[in-house]
Amino acid sequence: MRNVLNRSSALLRKLLTVTLFAILLMIVDNFTPWLKPAYSAADNLVRPLYWIANIPLRVQEWSAKSLTPRSEIESDNLRLSKESLIYHGQLQRMSDLAAENMRLRRLLNATELLQDSVLVTEVIGVSANPLSHTLTIDRGTTDNVFVGQPLLDAEGLMGQIIAVHKTHSTALLITDSNHALPVQVLRNGLRSIAEGRADYNRLNLRFVSPTADIREGDKLVSSGLGGLYPAGYPVGTVLSIVSRPGDNFLKIDIDPSAEIDRSRHLLLLYTSRDSAEGLVE
Amino acid sequence: MESDNRGIAICLTLILAVALSLMPLSGDWIVWKPNFLLLMVMAWIMRWPDGLGIFFAAAVGLLADILLRMTPGHSVMVFALCAGAIALVSRWAKYLSMLQRMLLVALIITLVAVLEASLFQIYGRPSGIEHLPMKILLSIIVWPFIDRLVARLQPRRS
Repeated sequence: MRNVLNRSSALLRKLLTVTLFAILLMIVDNFTPWLKPAYSAADNLVRPLYWIANIPLRVQEWSAKSLTPRSEIESDNLRLSKESLIYHGQLQRMSDLAAENMRLRRLLNATELLQDSVLVTEVIGVSANPLSHTLTIDRGTTDNVFVGQPLLDAEGLMGQIIAVHKTHSTALLITDSNHALPVQVLRNGLRSIAEGRADYNRLNLRFVSPTADIREGDKLVSSGLGGLYPAGYPVGTVLSIVSRPGDNFLKIDIDPSAEIDRSRHLLLLYTSRDSAEGLVE
Repeated sequence: MESDNRGIAICLTLILAVALSLMPLSGDWIVWKPNFLLLMVMAWIMRWPDGLGIFFAAAVGLLADILLRMTPGHSVMVFALCAGAIALVSRWAKYLSMLQRMLLVALIITLVAVLEASLFQIYGRPSGIEHLPMKILLSIIVWPFIDRLVARLQPRRS
C-alpha cells in the first residue's frame, strides 16, 4: 500500500513539474521573443522529416505522371495550346485596357497602378495541425522572399509569408483563424474584413451592417487597405448571408477563390512598392 | 544490448508517427487525422511503464509543438497528462483485452481533447471540438495497428 502511495506521489510530482514547465513555456512564448531563434533553428532541424512525410505524395504524383496514356497527354497538350491562344488574345485586349486605365488615372491625378511581378514556388510541407493553417514553400532569403509577402495560386490570394529561412519559408493562409485581410465587393466597392476560421473552405466577412448592399454570389477582391496585400486580387465569393434580428452585423460566409488545400504550385508576389521600400534586392 | 534495441525501436516508431502526422491530406480529412504521435507515446508507455513515463511524453510533446507549429508547451502539457493517466493504470492495463484497451484509449483521448479545446479557448482560437467524435473513432481504428507494432518491437524476455 505504501509503495502504491509513494509511486502515485512521485508521479504527481513529475506531472506537476512538467505542467509548470509547459505553462512557463507558454508564458515565455506569449510575452517575449526569446523562443523565436530556438524555433527557427528547430524548424531547420526537422525539415528532413517533412521531406520523409511528402514521399507518398511524390510517389503518387510520379506514378500519375508515368501511367498517364500518351493519347491523354496529347489531348491535354492540344487543349492547353488552345487555352493559351485564347488567353493571349484576351491579354492583348487587357494591355490596351490597362494603358487606357493608366491614362485616365493620370487625367484624374490618381496614383498609378503598381506593376507586380511574381516568382513561382512549390509547396513542400503543410501544417499537420488542422487548426493552424500554414504551409512551407521552397523559396527563402536566397530568392529575396520577405516577411509579409503575399502568396497567390492560379485562382486567388492564398496568404502571406510569416517566417523566412535560407532555402524555405512559412506562409500563413487566409483561412487561419489568426488571419484577416481587408476586402471589397467587386460589384460596388463595399469594404469589409475577411477573416479565417480554421476551415479550408470558408472565410467570415466581418462588420457588414444589415443594410449593406451585398448579395450571395458577389465576388470579393483585396482592397489594398492595410498596405500588405495589393488591391484587386480575388479573395472569394459570398456563399450565404444570414441576418439575425438584434444582431449589429450580418453573418456572411465566403467561399475562398484560391484552392487553399489543393494548390501545389504558387506565386510569390513582388510589387514595385516592395522594390521601392528596399525589400527586394 | 536489449535496451539499445528498444531505443532504436522507439526512435523508428516515432519517426513513423511523425511522418504520418505530417503527411499532407485534403482539408476534409486533416481535421479527422488521429494524433499519431500521442497514440505512439501511449502505446510505448502502456507496454513499458517502468522505462518510459511523463518526461518521455513531455519530450515528444515538445517535438510535436515544433512540428505542428503549436504554442510551445501546449503538447508538452497534453502529452504529459496523457502519460500520467496511462502510468496510473499501467499496472493492470497490460492484462486488458484489445477491446478494453481501445476503450481506455478512447476515454483518455476524449479527456485530452476536452483539455486541448479549453486551452484553445483560452488562446481565443477555434477548438475544432465538432470533429472530435470522428477523430476518436479513427484513433480507435488505428490503435490496434500501433499497439501490435509496439508489442512486436518489444524485446522478448528469456
